[in-house]
Amino acid sequence: MREGRRHQQFAKFKFAELNLVPLVDTLVSIVFFALTTATVGELAPVTPGVTLPEARVGSNALQQLTLGVGRQVTLAGNPVMSTLDAAQAESSDPRQPLLIPALYSALRLKADSIRTASAEPGIGPVEAPLAIQGDRSMRYDLLSRIMQTARLAGFKNISLQVRRVTDGV
Amino acid sequence: MPGSRFHRARVRRAERAASSLGHGGINLVPLIDVLTSIVFFSLVSYQGLLAELTSFDLALPPVVVTAQQVAAAQPEHQLALLLAVRVQADRMLVEHSGGGGYRREIVGLGVAQLDTLQALMRDIHRQYPQNNDVLVLPADDVSYDDIVHVLERLKMAQFPNVALGTRARVGVPGALTAAGGA
Repeated sequence: MREGRRHQQFAKFKFAELNLVPLVDTLVSIVFFALTTATVGELAPVTPGVTLPEARVGSNALQQLTLGVGRQVTLAGNPVMSTLDAAQAESSDPRQPLLIPALYSALRLKADSIRTASAEPGIGPVEAPLAIQGDRSMRYDLLSRIMQTARLAGFKNISLQVRRVTDGV
Repeated sequence: MPGSRFHRARVRRAERAASSLGHGGINLVPLIDVLTSIVFFSLVSYQGLLAELTSFDLALPPVVVTAQQVAAAQPEHQLALLLAVRVQADRMLVEHSGGGGYRREIVGLGVAQLDTLQALMRDIHRQYPQNNDVLVLPADDVSYDDIVHVLERLKMAQFPNVALGTRARVGVPGALTAAGGA
């Protein structure tokens, strides 16, 4: 009887049981994927309509502002002009014969928005990299014009993204 | 005696023994399930995880684009070229200013010729380990595919800083042909 009273008294303070196992499992998954994402970074997608050259070496291509050169020249997925027009475009600046005016305007706009977003001062080159995904059949005269236009628009860090192949493939 | 302390302890021991829980009362089975899933999907998506694309980060060369600028350029702004690979539609030309000047022509852009280029560049890098920079100068009509193959071989020859240059131009390019996706 005395035992029964004690039991009733302590029953009032009994905690509800919490199963922490699913919480721990979920947290393990979250930590794993968070670490993986932080280490690897967001990977770059391939621009549609572009047949990329292949290479076995190079660093992992991460998501960057991408200039695609297929049938059309695209910037961040938005068409800027046709590749034919880009190749035949005449420079508006006699001191810069390689300049492609329409592409320059689009790139300049992007560079300005990057400067505004990152509060970079002045009109100097932006630190944000520009990735070029060009079709394997593109000639160098066009690539050199695109690179020079990008540089004049303020992009000093340019990378060429190509398809990775392994020795077994 | 059912209510005794000894009896209760025996019942608790029996419950513990019958329990499927692991040591310390933590059920490890769901954790193992989750980890197995993570390992499985990591293995399946391994190729994708390591990126479908690979990237060549370019060091931009000091390009001089007009003849007037070439003439007006100050000596300190002129390119002090140490090592260059000229790529033409049917050959490659390696030029090195070290050791009184070096020039080697490799005819063709096939796999064998690219192997030769890689071996040659590796030798040069072994001789001049402080020289990490190489300038690639493709001709206008060279395809992007061939340029990437040259860049790939230079990376394999342990040159970390590869720049793509372009020749000096006098006029506005008018007769350039389109490429890409054609």
